[in-house]
Amino acid sequence: MIARMAASPRVVLGAALVLALALVALFAPVIAPHDPAEQDLMYTLLPPAWAAGGEALYPFGTDSLGRCMLSRLIHGTRVALYVAVVAAFGAMLLGTTLALIGGYCGGRVDWLIGRAVDVWMAFPPVVLALILLVGLGTGVNMVIIAIIVIDWTRFCRVIRSEVLVVMKRDYIPAARLSGFSHVQVVLREVLPAVTPLVVTLLSLEMGIAVIVEATMSFVGLSVEADVAAWGVMIADARQFMNQSPWGVVLPMLAIFLAVFAFNLLGDGLRRTLDPRLMVARGPAA
Amino acid sequence: MSVLAAQGLTVTLGRGVEAIPVLRDLSFRVGAGRVLGLVGESGAGKSMVGRAIAGNLPGTFAVSAGTLTFDGEDLVRIAPARRLALLGDRICFIPQEPQTALNPLMTVAAQFGEHLARLGVAKADRPARILAALDSVRLRDPASLLDRYPFQLSGGMCQRVLIAMAFASRPALIIADEPTTALDVSTQAHVVQLIRALQADYGTALLFITHDLRLAARVCDEMLVLYAGEMAERGPARAVMGAPRHPYTRSLKASNPTLSGPLRRLVSLPDQMPGIGSLRALPGCRFAPRCPVADAACGAAVPGVIEIGGGQAVRCAPGCLAGAIATDAAGLAMPAVVASGAAPILLLEGVSKHYPGRRAWHGRRAPGVDAVCDVSLDVAPGEFVGIVGESGSGKSTLARLVMGLERPSAGRIVVDGTDVTAADRGARIVRLGALQMVFQDPQSALNPRRSVARLVTQALEAADRPHDASDRIARAQELLRETGLPPDLLQRFPSQLSGGQKQRVNIARALCVTPRLLVADEIVSGLDVSVQAQILNLLLDLRQEFGFALLLISHDLAVVRYLCSRVLVMHHGAVVESGEVAKVFADPRHAYTRSLLASIPPDDAAAAWPAAAPRAAEPV
Repeated sequence: MIARMAASPRVVLGAALVLALALVALFAPVIAPHDPAEQDLMYTLLPPAWAAGGEALYPFGTDSLGRCMLSRLIHGTRVALYVAVVAAFGAMLLGTTLALIGGYCGGRVDWLIGRAVDVWMAFPPVVLALILLVGLGTGVNMVIIAIIVIDWTRFCRVIRSEVLVVMKRDYIPAARLSGFSHVQVVLREVLPAVTPLVVTLLSLEMGIAVIVEATMSFVGLSVEADVAAWGVMIADARQFMNQSPWGVVLPMLAIFLAVFAFNLLGDGLRRTLDPRLMVARGPAA
Repeated sequence: MSVLAAQGLTVTLGRGVEAIPVLRDLSFRVGAGRVLGLVGESGAGKSMVGRAIAGNLPGTFAVSAGTLTFDGEDLVRIAPARRLALLGDRICFIPQEPQTALNPLMTVAAQFGEHLARLGVAKADRPARILAALDSVRLRDPASLLDRYPFQLSGGMCQRVLIAMAFASRPALIIADEPTTALDVSTQAHVVQLIRALQADYGTALLFITHDLRLAARVCDEMLVLYAGEMAERGPARAVMGAPRHPYTRSLKASNPTLSGPLRRLVSLPDQMPGIGSLRALPGCRFAPRCPVADAACGAAVPGVIEIGGGQAVRCAPGCLAGAIATDAAGLAMPAVVASGAAPILLLEGVSKHYPGRRAWHGRRAPGVDAVCDVSLDVAPGEFVGIVGESGSGKSTLARLVMGLERPSAGRIVVDGTDVTAADRGARIVRLGALQMVFQDPQSALNPRRSVARLVTQALEAADRPHDASDRIARAQELLRETGLPPDLLQRFPSQLSGGQKQRVNIARALCVTPRLLVADEIVSGLDVSVQAQILNLLLDLRQEFGFALLLISHDLAVVRYLCSRVLVMHHGAVVESGEVAKVFADPRHAYTRSLLASIPPDDAAAAWPAAAPRAAEPV
């Protein structure tokens, strides 16, 4: 399994990018050349060092208050990854638990969970997020709660259908006849069978969470205005877009890179872990 | 003059020095109005012959030597366009799975019409042609079938439609690949009879591919027994069946449980047929590793074909033909049936299971299904009881009721003196202590993510059975030994095992906590005859050792006869006949039992079959 994953270029490239982003976030204070909040009013709206008029002191230039773009991007990675990891895990835990309960129990429990998912998914997600944030108050943790509350349905719907497939296999009643309790059957027979799918969805959800967080900080509902986050940077640079387009382009590239890394990893994992695709391409023999 | 003649046909996988001959040096001929049977177990390469004729070999396979002459043209070297013109017109196929061979989105008339259009029948003539063709396959009221979709027809009806399509162009050659394997036994008799009748009427040459030696003996004029892509024996069908000479054919016949005559212990060949990957390691006779009479020379060189006379020929070393198969004469040691006074381990009283129909959007529920109605039975400790019936007779539902996977809608289930009808916690404990089930399909019953060691001992994982890791490994080794599996399988996963090995693991798991009654649902139906014999003998041996009782559910009467002392015949959810196996099989009282017995080709190759159209009233 590990060997097969290592053979997939998508998985390797995606994992390498995610790992790089994680390292950047972890060692942000060490890597960043400046304090992200430090203002240098002598140099405002500088272009990157390679463009005409750039300064070697500020490799990616500065924003309207003369803050170092590179340092702000590096520190912004922390916010993005924090939200991505916590929100995606939260949505995964909630959605997968309900999917296992619904799929295993069947009958009314399954009906109830299934209809809840239907109703939930009928709400426009952005509007739902705004309503939630108005109710909960703003802040990065509130954004995380909003993502969990909205996106658990993605996990629940997809994993429930996979649970139903597994439940059709005879090894489920066979485990019951071996004396397994219901909890044991779910944890030892059903959950391992859906784990590859959970991992795949988790990776894709992290990409989604990055976008949602950026959107929310763009409209000022996420982090405080003085914290360096990619969405905040775009919002700040928006007014000066005509003088200095770099202020918008660079954080957008950062968002793009993060989402691309998570999607690539997710897609690669789906291809390597999905047994149906494995059969289609055939084993080595 | 033969319609189809193969001369030295060889199909290889791969190219150059790496090439593996999957079919090796195959020669046969089938004349107009004759039927040639290609007989072999799965992996013998019999379907590969059909695909070579159709020019439809899988990507990396190719005909590397030999000719396939059809009506003067060599199908191996024919232009693709010419082959396409022949297929479906002069050469037709009857497929194995009738219901998947028909397009589910097209009506019978549309599909048949499409076929006729290809044959160049004018649009105006098609309806009449379709009706005539459907009539010729004895489908009742063909006009009513025209607008039906395949899923609205039974498997037997679909197969008849396909047979009608195959014969529509009066082809010179028809290839029927396991045409009755997916059908119930009583349907099988009708379909086979129909194919033979049409083939004789039109003088068609028929290539009949089957795994069933007995069926081939009834249907075919000549027979070619294949083993691992090589001819083992050929000759007139009745001669081959009546007096097989090749050790493989002899073993195959002796590993088939019979419906009459004295019970003998089945000959079970060791292992199973080599897969394509291991053919390279078998330069000589491919049967040698499993052959009961092989010597060292057999594995070294490919033996030549020996003509025996009367058209019969074998590919075998001359010395081996004389050697007796050691177990041929061994009688079956049936253990003394348990003391009749013992309290039954399982008792069912008037058990029924009713599935309610769906409630409609408005109004009433649809009528439900009575899957099991009013079944009573008892199993004494150590007794082997069989339940036979066709698909849909409720026998699998009955197994689930016994195991507590379903609750009965009426009646009483008693296990070992305790009433377990309620299926509550107490009943579960009683069941867990006394009953185990072996599921039909090991592919589905074995969790692919568990190793063999963790599969066979999974009962030890349950909360109330504490164990430590070394105990568990020891128990797993013990179970593998008892079920005849090599100990190096412990850390393998199900996907790395053969079909027979998987079924042994499946049985080993059920034996882990030494049950007093084993419920086995069709446990040999997916296996080849020689592997089936291994499993049946294993059950007999394990019975000697553990003394468990067995409730064997099967559609195969011969299997039940071999293992069980009592039998219940189920039809539409109810038991229509029950009693001692010997009595029921010798003197069936119920019409359904009689028709079931009549639909199986008799062991005696000379007896008439099917005897005077059994159950002509049933629409199949």
